[in-house]
Amino acid sequence: MTKIRFHIYILLLFCSFNFTAHSSNFLEEENFVTSFADSAISILSNDTISDAERTSSFTELVMSSIDLNLISKFVLSKAWKNASDEQKENYLIAFKDYFVSSYANKLDQYTGEKVDVIGSQEAGKYVIVESNIIREGTDTLKINLKWRLLNKNNQIKIIDLNIEGISLVIAQREEFQSFLANNDYDLDKLIEKIVSVSD
Amino acid sequence: MNLRILLVVIIGSTLIFQGCASKSTELNSSLSKQEVSTVNDPFEKVNRVVFSFNIIFDKIILRPIAVTYKAVVPGFVRNRVTYSLNNLSMPITAVNNLLQGELRKAGVSTSRFIINSTVGLLGFFDPASSMGLVTETEDFGQTLSVWGVSSGPYVVLPFLGPSNPRDFAGLLSTSLLDPMYQIGGGSAPSSLRTYRLGTGAVDFRSQNVEILDDLQNNSIDYYAAVRSFYSQGRESQAASNLEIDSSEQENDIFDDFEIDESYVGPDIEITYD
Repeated sequence: MTKIRFHIYILLLFCSFNFTAHSSNFLEEENFVTSFADSAISILSNDTISDAERTSSFTELVMSSIDLNLISKFVLSKAWKNASDEQKENYLIAFKDYFVSSYANKLDQYTGEKVDVIGSQEAGKYVIVESNIIREGTDTLKINLKWRLLNKNNQIKIIDLNIEGISLVIAQREEFQSFLANNDYDLDKLIEKIVSVSD
Repeated sequence: MNLRILLVVIIGSTLIFQGCASKSTELNSSLSKQEVSTVNDPFEKVNRVVFSFNIIFDKIILRPIAVTYKAVVPGFVRNRVTYSLNNLSMPITAVNNLLQGELRKAGVSTSRFIINSTVGLLGFFDPASSMGLVTETEDFGQTLSVWGVSSGPYVVLPFLGPSNPRDFAGLLSTSLLDPMYQIGGGSAPSSLRTYRLGTGAVDFRSQNVEILDDLQNNSIDYYAAVRSFYSQGRESQAASNLEIDSSEQENDIFDDFEIDESYVGPDIEITYD
């Protein structure tokens, strides 16, 4: 037994410099993520309100924290530039409903018991805040989340959420591009499809 | 012996294939920034057929098992299973760490395996992590990417799902490189393999029941969504192996996007129901 313990000490010594450097250059943005996560968790763990109320206040929180207009345009990529004003209007309305039904109501899956902000960095016009959530009932099974934020006129908004290296906005964009490529780049068909999925 | 020859052939052909591909990659490197979001999927038609087959397989076999598993087995036990699978993948992770020239990480993976297999009761608990011994699992596909092999086109494999030539070569070679496959006599290695393959599939699927259901129900194009998730996930693993910032490619895509203020759009009223 002492032999095993000795080996463990040696191993520990070997790995004691295994610390990750934490950089917190963007405190305002980091606080934004922390307070967003705290509000989300307090809504989701609130047992005094009904399921419907919980969903609506959670959706309200998400929709007021993201820049939906920007996300809508980004995921449509080039098709946005070529769209007519009427198509743009129809699309923005359809995408908003789609977003609420497919993301805003579902983001609770990514909200564990604790969101730990571990650092932030600049990325072009954006700031990326990195955080971990710990899987329920464990100490060490982590999920890595990166929040892409845009600070516009002193208002911070979420632009993207990257889960374990997968950007939700880029995935959505590739999906739309793929649909358009398989449907003669007909934006009206895409809008129709978006409407049918969110119903 | 035959298996070793197979390994050499697989790695050799991947490298040759890569050699041919890399010339055009250099020529296109100036274009790659714009094409970074364009997925490399020349076999899309065949892939979509295999994908539909996999969905049916998932619907009638894998998903029901995963859902039952999740309903019957308590979360505590399921987490132990996740830990034990992670522990069993530590020896092959250590081999890949070495092949990637990551001596320190190989030390961490080996230490994790030793500590968790003993103090952690056959890997069902994870005391190593609380000692600061934390590492990501590594497979041979990731090692090939460190060696400069690019992923090649997206391929959907029957039963196994999303892949590409590099990751498929990695998958085939893993059985030859994994120390866990060589340990023990009689049927021990093969029953361990069955445990890992079967339980691994159920473990993964059960962790993703809601997410995949949602994705399937809410997708405009489910095939494209899964393809994007897989490609992005593997790209970011490759980036972290090469110790480059995994968000770099992503930043390029977001930076190229001009924030269009010219069209504000209708005043959308948001209802929350």
